[in-house]
Amino acid sequence: MSCQYTQAVAVEDAIEALIAAKGEAHIIAGGVALVILMNEKLVEPTWLIDISRIGALHGIDQLPDGTVRIGAAVTHREVAESEIIAQAFPMVPEMAAEIACGRIMNKGTIGGNICLADPQGDPPIAMLALDATMRAVGPNGTRDIPVREFFVDLYTTALQEDELLQEILVPPMKEGSTTAFGKYAARRAMDYTSTISVAVRLIRSADNKQIEEIALGFGGVGQTPVYSKEVEDILTGAAPSEALFNQVHEKISEVLEPIDDHLYSANYKRHVSAVTLRRTVMKAFDGTWEGEGVLIR
Amino acid sequence: MTMDVTLNINGARHELAVKPTETVVGILRDRLGLTGTHKDCSMGVCGACTVLLNGQPVSSCLLLAPQADGQEIRTIEGLEQDGKLSPLQEAFLTFGAVQCGYCTPGFLMTATALLEENPKPSRAEVIEALKGNLCRCTGYKKIIEAVESASGQ
Repeated sequence: MSCQYTQAVAVEDAIEALIAAKGEAHIIAGGVALVILMNEKLVEPTWLIDISRIGALHGIDQLPDGTVRIGAAVTHREVAESEIIAQAFPMVPEMAAEIACGRIMNKGTIGGNICLADPQGDPPIAMLALDATMRAVGPNGTRDIPVREFFVDLYTTALQEDELLQEILVPPMKEGSTTAFGKYAARRAMDYTSTISVAVRLIRSADNKQIEEIALGFGGVGQTPVYSKEVEDILTGAAPSEALFNQVHEKISEVLEPIDDHLYSANYKRHVSAVTLRRTVMKAFDGTWEGEGVLIR
Repeated sequence: MTMDVTLNINGARHELAVKPTETVVGILRDRLGLTGTHKDCSMGVCGACTVLLNGQPVSSCLLLAPQADGQEIRTIEGLEQDGKLSPLQEAFLTFGAVQCGYCTPGFLMTATALLEENPKPSRAEVIEALKGNLCRCTGYKKIIEAVESASGQ
């Protein structure tokens, strides 16, 4: 099949091509997910819009109010090596450094990963826990989408067919917040199958005994990257204990709906998710962590 | 639709008319006869097709020709200089880090990039850098030892 290629150098070039393609275009940034689907003949694009050379989609900056802006075409390597992000949200570079391996980190982008909306993606759940805003751009300018409204269905986001993700805005955390990321991967350098992950942001109570506030993201346990208000509610205001995490485990079994795959059953994924959650919450709560980097063992 | 791209491969300029969906590994092997870059999983998982794009390792099976337009690509054929193998290649021979050889070009390119960025890596850093490359013969030990012995050279 014949395929057109638009090498966009400005956001407007990409929008113009998106409008002309009427929903038939695929946006390519790093290509590390899309080209797999092309090689497998699951996707046969007729129009590719390359956004990786659009200057406005690059760069990581901190705005005066503390919000960190990450361009959609920023690579995982750039995220992993960013001092700005490490200062503001320590779990995010740790997460990015464990995305697949160096080859993929060098090409894959944070925006591409988020827009793929793969249930097993790591950046999406970090953004869920950080309550980030996805800034889309389309023919009528920009539109801000809260991350909790962004993941709509399997591989489907809230973006319209003439929109693309321009940048991710991560709001500053409240004073005293801590973050942690935990992940259980079948093979450390390979993320595309059976990866369970959890991202945590929390604040402890003044006496350090309870979780005062918590936000979570769950990977590998749904149709999309997911959050769970119910699980957050159980943990909010509670002191970590065996009983508390048993209650969380039960709730996870009830509310999360992972997909069976060739390695793990849905039930096993619920179990691993609950174990990963417990450890990751404790990593954020008091630094106790049975793992190596972000990987549980 | 075809489009014109320029690929700078091991210092040589190649002007090619490509289909936008052609991958760099296919162009290297099938159009330019540079068959040292091996093609295996086509999913970015095995590392056999690793090349350096502007000095950084990437999977050439996941790199479309237009993405590499105007960029510098280095392949296994670019490691030897004036008919002389690189110190890393020599170390692979010395340590028996090559068995069937299928994965070897990918390991060499990944390790070349590591040593250029970090000339004296620790063992942990070597293992970290090589974690995405699969070898089903050596058990990795000899590869890791070869990279360590070539460090600092």
